[in-house]
Amino acid sequence: MLRRMFRRNREMMTGYMFVLPWILGFLLFMAYPIYFSLNMSFNKVIISSNGIKKDFIRWNNFKYAFLSDPKYVEELLMFIKSVVFMIPIVIVFSLLVALLINQPIRFKGFFRAIFFLPVVITSGQVVKELFAQGAASVPIVERYGIIDYLQNNLDPSWSEPIISIIQQLIVILWYSGVQILIFLAGLQKVNSQIYEAASIDGASPWEIFWKITLPSIKPFILVNIIYTVVDLFTNSLNNVIDLIKVNMFQIDTGFGYATALAWIYFMVIFTILLVVVLVFGRNDDYNPRKAGR
Amino acid sequence: MSSFQGSKINPATFNRSQIKFYLFLIALAVFMIMPIVFMFSQSLKPINELFLYPPRFFVDNPSLKNFYDLINVTSVTVIPMTRFLFNSIVVTGAVVFLSIVISAMAGFALSKLKFKSKGVIFEANIIALMFVPASVAIPRYLIVDGLGLTDNMLGHIIPLLAMPVGLFLIKQFVDQIPNDLIEAAAMDGAGNFTVFRKVIIPVIMPALATVAILAFQTAWNNTETSEIYMNTETLRTFAFYMTTLTGNLENKVAGQGIAAAAALIMFVPNLIIFVIMQSRVLDTMAHSGLK
Repeated sequence: MLRRMFRRNREMMTGYMFVLPWILGFLLFMAYPIYFSLNMSFNKVIISSNGIKKDFIRWNNFKYAFLSDPKYVEELLMFIKSVVFMIPIVIVFSLLVALLINQPIRFKGFFRAIFFLPVVITSGQVVKELFAQGAASVPIVERYGIIDYLQNNLDPSWSEPIISIIQQLIVILWYSGVQILIFLAGLQKVNSQIYEAASIDGASPWEIFWKITLPSIKPFILVNIIYTVVDLFTNSLNNVIDLIKVNMFQIDTGFGYATALAWIYFMVIFTILLVVVLVFGRNDDYNPRKAGR
Repeated sequence: MSSFQGSKINPATFNRSQIKFYLFLIALAVFMIMPIVFMFSQSLKPINELFLYPPRFFVDNPSLKNFYDLINVTSVTVIPMTRFLFNSIVVTGAVVFLSIVISAMAGFALSKLKFKSKGVIFEANIIALMFVPASVAIPRYLIVDGLGLTDNMLGHIIPLLAMPVGLFLIKQFVDQIPNDLIEAAAMDGAGNFTVFRKVIIPVIMPALATVAILAFQTAWNNTETSEIYMNTETLRTFAFYMTTLTGNLENKVAGQGIAAAAALIMFVPNLIIFVIMQSRVLDTMAHSGLK
């Protein structure tokens, strides 16, 4: 009895020891700054050479953002719309590629490398340079008049979303690298004996996909959706973040207002993720609270 | 255990049934490679081709002039370029190594060890994941300043170490490791540290390699710490140096070519790291001894 307690204590101690460096870093460079910014969002902040001057103004920053800011709400709504559109595309696309790569074909490693390659470019300075130079559009599509064709032959309510997807296609594909990898990891964990058993019992590949493959990679779908949402929302190329940065150094609005905008943005991401987890993580296998216990 | 799919990859013979997969994969792969080809071809374009309208994708008369121009510009500055390069290499190396160790340890503990409030820690991590980095720049500066890390090499490294994405990915991977494996090791007398080192680390190698690439990205391309925390010119990093170089030139016609060359030079290390790490990353769970 005593020994067991001792052992449990020791496991707790090692547990804390393993997490300690991370906790320290987290508290210093994440938790405190986030708390600080929450505090600032209720203030009018003026930063001058003799320090930071705070002026408590309650919810005024938030009120201003929703009621008076000419751009913020509009940009935010536009961004949410495009993200809601892009998430399923990224997920379906990366699942498709992962399934293709998982087929019995040659040069598997080569294809895996190519589809993961964009992860190396879609961050930092390089991608900004690429966008500035116009590498993100698809020249072939425009040259062969595919867009004109769609515009002439389809109802505008259909052609417009399709065209915007085509124009963003490369960007969407670029954001699938890590997701493809996660799906591949999931697919390779499925026991192939189950596939064999199913096909002996007469299941078609289609049925196998829906009844075996999809349920067994369900936890990975949730992970991927979370990763995609976070990736799309926090990458440096989006207009909302630009707006936050611009406001940060403007004299009349200032840091306080910028943090208020950041907090509204954060709440939006949070809500979206909450919905995702409620929809996809609700039943059976996967529950982030229980996972790993 | 013989059922493992990984042993069946890359069939020895080419089969007609594979053609349909190749068609899809090759078409999609072309899209993925395009930006990189574009970057190389852009940096080789002479001035008159850079301003061609409509812009062309491939270079017609490749020349190295942009790179010579870049070298010329860098040779007139007081501090040699190698100094910035050295800083960047030290900083990036330290960030990659330390952030992997820290996230792997935390991921293992949060997933497999029992202790209080680990749920809270992981949820806090997810919340941090969602937060816009730009909005915490000022409070972070205050902390870095308070710790005395301004104008100090550590100021580049320490703020980047707590990587929420890294912990998130690693913990998801560790979750997939069956507890039996750990129990078997514990049965053989392994303590938590041994389990971590001998069982967990080899198994989550793909996740670690992925995190290594992501950490390399953040550290190598990071200009923020040089800009905000460093006053001494000699402590700044290569990425920052490149942006000042091209930033001043952007409006000039000649600057475009130099910017394209600089972008390529910034990008090449990313590519090299990727090529080195990719075999590990992409092996996913194949050689983990699990299933």
